[in-house]
Parts: sequence; C-alpha cells; structure tokens
Amino acid sequence: MTDRDDLDMLAAEFVLGTLEADERAWVARRRDHEPELDALILDWEARLAPLGDEVRPVTPDPWLLGSIERRIEALEAPGERPESEATNAQVALLHKRLRIWQWSTGLASAAALALAILLLTPVGQSPQEPPFVAVFQQNDQQPAFMLSVDLNRRQLNVLPVSAEPLPDRSYQLWIKEDSLGPDPRSVGVLNADLTLDAAALRDYDPDLLRQATFGISIEPLGGSPTGQPTSPAIHGFLYPTGQQVPQQRL
Amino acid sequence: MPDASWSSSTPAGASTSSDSSPASSIERLNGLLHRVAQKDRKAFALLYEATSAKLYGTVLRILPNKGLADDVVQEAFVNIWQKASQFDAGRASPITWMVTIARHRAIDEVRRQPTKRMESEDALDHTPSTEPTALDRLHHEQQSRRLDQCLEELEKDRQDMVRLAYLDGWSRSELAAHFDEPLGTVKSWLHRALKQLKGCLAS
Repeated sequence: MTDRDDLDMLAAEFVLGTLEADERAWVARRRDHEPELDALILDWEARLAPLGDEVRPVTPDPWLLGSIERRIEALEAPGERPESEATNAQVALLHKRLRIWQWSTGLASAAALALAILLLTPVGQSPQEPPFVAVFQQNDQQPAFMLSVDLNRRQLNVLPVSAEPLPDRSYQLWIKEDSLGPDPRSVGVLNADLTLDAAALRDYDPDLLRQATFGISIEPLGGSPTGQPTSPAIHGFLYPTGQQVPQQRL
Repeated sequence: MPDASWSSSTPAGASTSSDSSPASSIERLNGLLHRVAQKDRKAFALLYEATSAKLYGTVLRILPNKGLADDVVQEAFVNIWQKASQFDAGRASPITWMVTIARHRAIDEVRRQPTKRMESEDALDHTPSTEPTALDRLHHEQQSRRLDQCLEELEKDRQDMVRLAYLDGWSRSELAAHFDEPLGTVKSWLHRALKQLKGCLAS
C-alpha cells in the first residue's frame, strides 16, 4: 500500500468517524497544515454525505435558537452593553460551557471551582493594541485570577487577584481549541507565587489563541499527574478589551 | 435586553423557497451562509430554521442524550456563525459543510464519554428511513442513488459497519466488540469497504 493510500484511508476513517479520540485529534491538527490530507478529507465528506439522508430530522426545542443567539450576542458585542447585564450573560454562557466541557468525573466541589468570566471592562491602556483578557473567578464572587495575553508577542501574564497559594496543591492553566483536539492541553503549572512563564504560549499561533478557551484547575502539587485536568476548571474565550471584535478563524 | 437586536420571530422573506429543488435549496443556503459571514443575524435565523432539524437529528442519532445533543448543536451553530466566512461553495455543499461541523462535534463528545454511546443498543433498528424528506434532497438525488447502489454491492456486515460508524458514531473498537472480531480485522474490513465504495463511486 502506498503512502498516498494510507493517507486516503486515514482521511476516510476520520470522516467515517471510526478513529479513537487521540487519532481524531491528531488528524484534526494535521489537516491544518497538510493541504493534501485536507483535500482528501473533503473528498470523503462529499462521498459519504448522502448517507446523512437516512437520518430523520428532529426539530429541536424552540428555546434552542434563542440560546444560540444569546451566545452569539455575547461573542459579538463584549463591552457594548451595560456591564452587569453583559456579565450575567457571560456567566450564564460559561456555566453552560462548563457543563459541555465536563472535565471532571465527579470531583466537582464548589470550593474547588474556579470560574473564568470574561473581562468586559478595559484594563489595558494601549489604544492601538487592546490586550486580550480573561478573568477567572472563584465561586462567582471575586475574581481569582486574571489572564492577559499579548497576541502579537505571544506573551501571557497571570495575575492572582483573590487567589492564594494552596498548601500541597498547584494551580494549572489549560488551553483548549478545536485544532488541538478534543482534550485540553496544559499551558503550565503556576509557580508557588502564582506566576507563570510569560512565554508559555510562544508555540501557539495568535489566530488559534484568539479562538481558544482557557481554564484553570486545582491539581496535586506539581500539576496534574494524568496530563488532563483532575478537578473541574472553568474556561473562557479571550476577549479584546477594546471594541474590536475578535476575528473568527478556526 | 440582549435579545432586542435579534428577530427570533420569522423574519420577512423567510419562505421564499416555493421552488424546493435541490439546486435552488443549495443556492439559497449558499446565499444565507454568505450573509451570515457578513454577520447578518436575520440570515442566521433563516439558516437555522432551514437546517436545525437536520443537524439536530444527526447529532441526536450519534449522541442519544438530549442534554448533550442540545449542547453540541448549540456549539455547532455558534461555530457556524464564527466560521461562515471560511465556507467555500466551490469545495463543499452548504448542508454537508454544516452537518460535518455538527457530526464531528458529536463524535468528539462521544469519544470523550464512551459510556453515553452504549445507551443505544438497537442503533440499526431505527436506521434507514429510506424515503428522504424534502430537505434531504439537498444532496443531488443522483449522488444519493449512486452511493446507495455502491453500498448495496458491499457485504451486509460491511454495509452495517459503514452505517453504524457514519450515522451512529461507532468507533473501531465498538464495531469490533459488536461484530465479535479482532480490532485489526475490523480495520481491514473497513478499509476494504471504503476502497470498494470509492472505486464504485468513481466508476
């Protein structure tokens, strides 16, 4: 079998859906920078698409559209609405997303929960390049951490707000984005003074960072032993602190 | 209110499609996606109206859990809103592009929580409703018939495998367990079936 055949079968199985999670993530990453693989995948999507005719359409609940529209509203207009209202929408959105992401398998406890909300008020001063910011908020009360990212320089800055070092535990920052696969990837374990290497995001493309969601989880000292979050973490999209709407590219 | 700028009620011009031929449906969806790429929210509502049942049905079949399916479909539509500008009508049909986004999300979700999948034991029992509805005709009928014919040429087990995988989101290992065959055998069966399909479709 030739390499081209192998690649074609990989594309075919990706489309058919028979690959396991790690293989799917691997293919999803590869297609971004391998046009040949991407083209083979599109060919297979087209070949098999008529099979979808066998699926019975099911009308979703009427509330679903409104819920989607609110999420899009929140995505498109950060900062354009009164803060409290916008914050509520964001918190609701993130609660919803938390359920979807379901990092934890039963370790959820309110105390361990760090909620990331999106910062809606500008903190950066630079008028040209508004920094992208997410806020991680504990128990819906006070911000625990603030994360700001300079997309051009790929520098990050984690600022503890109300969060304090925990004895025998570490905070860990995670990134998740479609092209990285279905599972979150560790950005790094926060140091004892709750800082993190400013260059920890250097290997990520700014476009990817703009689309990514971030989460902070509480882990055993030194970080998650499994490579995946072992406590619930909440995440949010980075948002520009100015009026600029993030470019949507995946 | 956040909702004020949305017109959730059916906007004027919603039912312009008296002609429901596949070509005009595809053209209409192409046009809507183009407008969605310009952040046109009315177009988004129309696009949702035209396609949500198809996407929801697709996701629910893979993920027979209403709460998770609701979440996945919401994610998919938010994603469609975000990625509409990347849609290339020259490379994919609009409905295939949209269903693909929802399908992949559903499969990723199922791979992450394999236990959810096992709830639907009788997957194939509710398989082919062979009479496509009007919306299903978005695929050119000729293409659909051709795929049907080519599938018919496969052995029954292989046909089932392809359907269980594509429509119900079964992984190789789930297929291996169901057909009581080693993983390697299932993989080579799948590859043979896919190659045969490809060859048949190209002939």
